[in-house]
Amino acid sequence: MATTLPMIDYEKIKKVHDAPLEEFYTSGHRTCQGCESALVMRDFAKASGPRTIATGATGCMYVANTSYQTTPWVIPWMHTQLGAGGASAVGMAAGIRALMRKGKIAKEKINIINFSGDLGGADMGLSGISAALQTDYDLLIILYDNESAANTDIQATGLSTYGAVTTFTPSGKKRRIMQRRWKKNVAPMLAIGHPTCRYVATASATFPALDFMNKTRKALNVGGPTFIHTFDPCPKGWDFHPGYSRELGELGIKCGIFPLYEILDGKVTYTYDPHKKGRIPVRDYLVKQGRFAHLIDEDFDYIQGMVDTMWEEWELPGIAPIKSGLEMASR
Amino acid sequence: MIKRVEVQYRGVFQKTLGKYIGGDIVQIASRMGKVAFSNGRYSDAPERNGIPCKYFAFVSPDLSEAELEAECGSSYNADNVDVSVVVDDAMAQGVEPWGWHGIRPVNEKVGHKACLLVVTRRNHEHLLRFTAKKPQPYRLATLEGDASMAGLWVFKDDLTRERCLGAVAAVDPGIISIEAVEEYLLDTGKDADRARAARDAYEATLRRIKVVNPDQGIDWPHEIPVLPKWHEFEEGGVAIPAVKRGFKLGPRGQNRNDGFKHGTSKTERPVVRFDLCIKCTLCWADCPDECFDPTDDGLYDINYEVCTGCHKCADVCPVKECIVMVPELQFEDEKSPWEQHKKDPAGYIQWAEDKKGSTRIRYRHVTGEGVEKYKATPVPRNMDGPGQKEAL
Repeated sequence: MATTLPMIDYEKIKKVHDAPLEEFYTSGHRTCQGCESALVMRDFAKASGPRTIATGATGCMYVANTSYQTTPWVIPWMHTQLGAGGASAVGMAAGIRALMRKGKIAKEKINIINFSGDLGGADMGLSGISAALQTDYDLLIILYDNESAANTDIQATGLSTYGAVTTFTPSGKKRRIMQRRWKKNVAPMLAIGHPTCRYVATASATFPALDFMNKTRKALNVGGPTFIHTFDPCPKGWDFHPGYSRELGELGIKCGIFPLYEILDGKVTYTYDPHKKGRIPVRDYLVKQGRFAHLIDEDFDYIQGMVDTMWEEWELPGIAPIKSGLEMASR
Repeated sequence: MIKRVEVQYRGVFQKTLGKYIGGDIVQIASRMGKVAFSNGRYSDAPERNGIPCKYFAFVSPDLSEAELEAECGSSYNADNVDVSVVVDDAMAQGVEPWGWHGIRPVNEKVGHKACLLVVTRRNHEHLLRFTAKKPQPYRLATLEGDASMAGLWVFKDDLTRERCLGAVAAVDPGIISIEAVEEYLLDTGKDADRARAARDAYEATLRRIKVVNPDQGIDWPHEIPVLPKWHEFEEGGVAIPAVKRGFKLGPRGQNRNDGFKHGTSKTERPVVRFDLCIKCTLCWADCPDECFDPTDDGLYDINYEVCTGCHKCADVCPVKECIVMVPELQFEDEKSPWEQHKKDPAGYIQWAEDKKGSTRIRYRHVTGEGVEKYKATPVPRNMDGPGQKEAL
């Protein structure tokens, strides 16, 4: 059963001065100085407006947002368990649909937005998110990716960059690099595997300006289950001065290590297209973070090589690790 | 008898420093034949950049290990400490580590005749302009130095650790003696400089201990909340009322979380030259703490109560000298700068320039790599219209 509720027709924010002024996620959260994930919360709440319910899986943004019986949320917000992001969104959407069917609440569009961190969303909660994207409910799942389990003092996850120092992957004398996994491509995995999910995007809270807010609005306008993966530089875990968190996000996108795109009904549009705008060396991005302080030239070359492969050899550049020239096994 | 030491430090930036000072005190005391242990404050975890946190060390000459642990091990906070070491002097303005805690004086737990030891370049009188009055006399000691900031895994080895140990020995030899500190540092550090730094700090601190009488300090301006009893919480125990929706243009126009402000995380605050502002919205749009209040003339006022001093606005501002970070201890209130600017534009510019001074600090990308000092180029004081473009 597809939804028959009236949709909220969100307008695209064209100029920075047109961004809504009112906050629905406001001051008084115990996040780090210069936290980009807090900006993701602020921007999606601002873009979606007051008729929104947020659910958050355990992670930095849950613990920081409930500093002992206080909250910065203006919109209703619910905490759920670490891997339960997708399930909580489905449950909430189903509950609201049932209440509307029974006439207990007015029939109107209520946005359901779940945010899960990279451990809660991409590692533990991946199956739940996958299941949520197979439903016909209107829900948006935001994966805020600070590349570690940052709440518990930085443990490696499936989304940590190759070579990064975390509490699980310290650099040692015998083995310089302990994080030897390449970053998981969550957004394309979900886009390719879920035809019911019409809109998948990647974004960064601050670069390009307004991009994340507009992607949130687009996802809500498209309706059905949708997914956005955001790239959030984390001053604590990546070890850089908090003042530079915007700059790090911009460099990460410009060097191509985090591709920026949206996939609407199977059609890919690059928000920042390195084929047109070029890529800066990955090194420029890596050397500005303490977590890569142990890397040597060899490692920089390896990471650069992997990023080059992403953009030059993959069938969907930067997105899907499938190379052209594959033939059927029975040739 | 138990001697209690607390180290008040900036979360993440000084985490390793706090832990080392606590651990070293235990090691040194145990070399002196005492029983000791050290722990962090449970409720500070998970630590966030800049948030005020505490580390403790407990030392006893006569109790057994089990007795000491029974006495101090389970409590999450020490009620009375003999020495409180503050490794960032900006915390003198008050500390608010979590919700329902309130902004509390940095000397809150300093007991009768106990000592507040601050690492600072300011003098006693300056610090007493921020610290609260206490009913009993206590001692205030200063150890000359800057706040030693590093990162989660980085330890900035600038001898602050060794100097703090020397200073603790100076303010309370009953905890550790300077001879034991020197011996420990020589044994573990294999470097005579470390022991010498501790000895120098010990002697300097001996000269810089002053007794603070009950009339010295300020009346504490912040209200300290009374925690509701378990049966007074909302039904269900975990339902928290959301912030009431409310927004209007102007200072403090946005409703915010009243239970937790987060402003005591900052060591520096942004000072804005409103006359140079080109209204690009970047500071407001990129602020992760929502501390900018849009005003009806298109400018952005700052609510210093909730600003965490992250430097982001100063970094993204495209106008030279428009937003500059200034050390927190130059300010005694959190008044709206936009209102001051409206009342007296020329006076405000003068005030802002005085606060900014001419020496600026630029931080390096990676934390713990130190800072770079440079001289600022002066920006004309009365700029309007076309002149603004030149400032870009």
